[in-house]
Amino acid sequence: MAVDKQESVKSLFTAQSAKVDTNRGDAYYEKLYAQCRARLDELKELAPLNNRMDFKESIEDEGLDRRDFLKWASATTAMLMLPASFTPLVADAAVMMNRVPVVWIELSDCAGNTEALIRSDGPKIDEIILDIISLEFNETLLAASGHQAEKQLEDAIEHFKGKYLLFVEGAVPMGMDGQYGTIGASGETFHDHLQRIAKDAAAIVAVGSCATFGGIPAAAPNPTDAKGVMDVVKGKPIINIPACPANPSNMVGVILHYVLTGSIPELDSLLRPKFAFGYRIHDNCERRAHFDAGEYVEEWGDEGAKNNFCLYKVGCKGPMTFNNCSIIRYNEGVNWPVGVGRGCIGCSEPDFWDKYAYERPMANANIKAPTGGVEKTVDEFGLGLLTAAGVGIAIHAAASAVAGKKESEKEA
Amino acid sequence: MIIKKLIEKVEGEAELNFSFKDKKIDNVDINFSFFRGVENILVGKAPQDALVITPRVCGICNHAHLIASVRAIEDGYRSVGLEVNLTKKANDIREFTLACELIQNHIKWLYLTILPQLEKLLDHPSEENYALKASYLSSIITKALAIFAGQWPHSSYAVVGGVTCDPTYVDVIQAENLIDESIKFFEQAVMGMKIETLLSMDSVLDLPKIGGDFSKVLYLLGSSGMAELGKSHDRFIVFGECLCFKIGKSIPTRVSTIDTRFVKELNQKNSFAKGVTYKDRLFEVGPLARGMISKEPIIKSLHKRYKDSLLTRIFARVYEVGLLLDYSKKILGSLDMSEPSCTFDASTQQPMSFEGVGVVEAARGSLIHKTTVKDGLVSNYEIIVPTQWNLSNGHKEEKGIAVKAMVGLTSIDEASFVFKSFDVCSVCTTQ
Repeated sequence: MAVDKQESVKSLFTAQSAKVDTNRGDAYYEKLYAQCRARLDELKELAPLNNRMDFKESIEDEGLDRRDFLKWASATTAMLMLPASFTPLVADAAVMMNRVPVVWIELSDCAGNTEALIRSDGPKIDEIILDIISLEFNETLLAASGHQAEKQLEDAIEHFKGKYLLFVEGAVPMGMDGQYGTIGASGETFHDHLQRIAKDAAAIVAVGSCATFGGIPAAAPNPTDAKGVMDVVKGKPIINIPACPANPSNMVGVILHYVLTGSIPELDSLLRPKFAFGYRIHDNCERRAHFDAGEYVEEWGDEGAKNNFCLYKVGCKGPMTFNNCSIIRYNEGVNWPVGVGRGCIGCSEPDFWDKYAYERPMANANIKAPTGGVEKTVDEFGLGLLTAAGVGIAIHAAASAVAGKKESEKEA
Repeated sequence: MIIKKLIEKVEGEAELNFSFKDKKIDNVDINFSFFRGVENILVGKAPQDALVITPRVCGICNHAHLIASVRAIEDGYRSVGLEVNLTKKANDIREFTLACELIQNHIKWLYLTILPQLEKLLDHPSEENYALKASYLSSIITKALAIFAGQWPHSSYAVVGGVTCDPTYVDVIQAENLIDESIKFFEQAVMGMKIETLLSMDSVLDLPKIGGDFSKVLYLLGSSGMAELGKSHDRFIVFGECLCFKIGKSIPTRVSTIDTRFVKELNQKNSFAKGVTYKDRLFEVGPLARGMISKEPIIKSLHKRYKDSLLTRIFARVYEVGLLLDYSKKILGSLDMSEPSCTFDASTQQPMSFEGVGVVEAARGSLIHKTTVKDGLVSNYEIIVPTQWNLSNGHKEEKGIAVKAMVGLTSIDEASFVFKSFDVCSVCTTQ
């Protein structure tokens, strides 16, 4: 490994933005607790949007145990990297998710993230949450079609102006003046559609590898000049939840965080929430012990494969990929790619296809570590959200954004 | 007179332009205004890259793409004399996961598209939360899939010569439990009858025995007179050698053999989607085609009475869930865990040039992948998806399958419903 590469890898892993602080001290958490409590109390005063289901009632309707619900809430609290004492707040916030309008649009995508969302995790909990989230608009889930659906979208952005969370699935094709993706009879390009709907959003959540960094459509030769949302939309707080598909737990996590604190979660230099992208796959991999012991799968179906050895030599990109798959896994925690011996393809990293291509073993992959330097932007986004002051209720100090600011000052 | 109409919620979107003559639909022009260029992206890459890239064509039938792409490479290897023999276990696991994907798709289509749209169309509102029912079964069944495939959507666990997973008995038992849970939901909520009873039905006279949510669809179609709408060319084709289906073509009931060499793609004006023909004729693919070619008694009986109408088409898709649940339970019961998962020796010199075809039955019908490899890199890749068969605009001599099914109707709302009975997927169609 060349020296400069080693240095760049080192700087990546030691960058302030890559550090995860899971213990900020009692004083910090007490203050945050009080802020969240106050915010939830205010939210409680608001009527649920759009006649969404009442969460408590639905828990009973679904025959769901209060105990199961609290189990889910405590797991989610841990996922959000909050102390266990926040569990009741997270449970309350879940009930309050029908107070935050969510608009979901699809651009150059495969609908895979929507598919993942409707199969999100938790013991029947997130199925209910699907109904609790005030999903004002989603093409796949919406029964309306045609002009009616377009009107529903217009109504939602007008009515919740400046208050809605905009989830974007899919890349933005910029080639041929945007003609690789147009909407409806109007012929509006995906780019113009995104800009128009982003304008009045409180914050944008780019879901999946396509919306964050361009994903597969942006793989060489990038026939449609596909780009991620953050390359196109400026002046809005953006949260990236990459991966192909994005993990539904992280989608729900971001919404919950927003309900709970009124702010976006703390982000890394690629605008990914640290609660989900703070660690590498490799750090918590169930096969890590085999890596340390030098026990590898050398080819598919060999003795190593039968013994669940490390997949590094057959191309696993876990050591270079930041994501929480190894902890929360997929499909209600049933499994994940490493669990079936296929290894990580690095799908939550920028340009993942061109840089990480699975079939090339790590050592030959010539991966250049994505080095940051965008801390300042994270900070600006944090402030941006404060001034956007969405949701028609007082936004409390964006705890994590403030924390992010302090860190970047230290680093600067 | 031309009325433009946009149809959304087809996993992406499609635009339909209706032309009317004497107040009846005379022609429909179907456009897909979306393109990513996945076939172009594959050119110049290693052949095995297709195993990870092609599933990303579609978030709904990604697994079918994976199996088609691995089969294309295996076929290519065999064509240059390399031996690629899958164990029964590897084959069974691929079959099981594919069956799961079809099941989740059909159930989601029933609850998110057919039931709510039909109730709205016929002004027959219900208080039911269909989205929850859709996500209930599709979550369970994709969990069973993920036990073997790692995740859903977008798993890439199939490799040349087998699969990468090496499940234990605990995994199999867990999957069996999930299948049992799915069967229970299907019997109680969807059909209101036992799967054995459903699969032993052989006559339209048995239809009234069906209960559950599906009986609402049957009632609404029957009482509104819509059951007989949506007839098309009455020609069916099935290419995929997989699951419990037989391959061949059926015109309309006479089944004969086929060869993928006669499949031809057609460029279409104003649309990123291509049409496709077999020996220059248009064929319907999907569950109805599979039922006809496998000669399922109840499908034959429905077809005899209602032809390739809305009722037969919708019934065939929901009925297939029963077939596949039964089939996947049998696979799990006979899985031989002592066999190896992957038998291809990686030290074998991999061929630098080959051509291969991989075919599989996806939720919406036959999916074909063709790969051409030169000097170790892909020089051409073709993906022919089911929706290209069903939703092409046809050619000079014949109207497309879905177009023909809509022609002659007077209402755009009815025509849209007929369109959606094909379980439209635009993300696949345009890639």
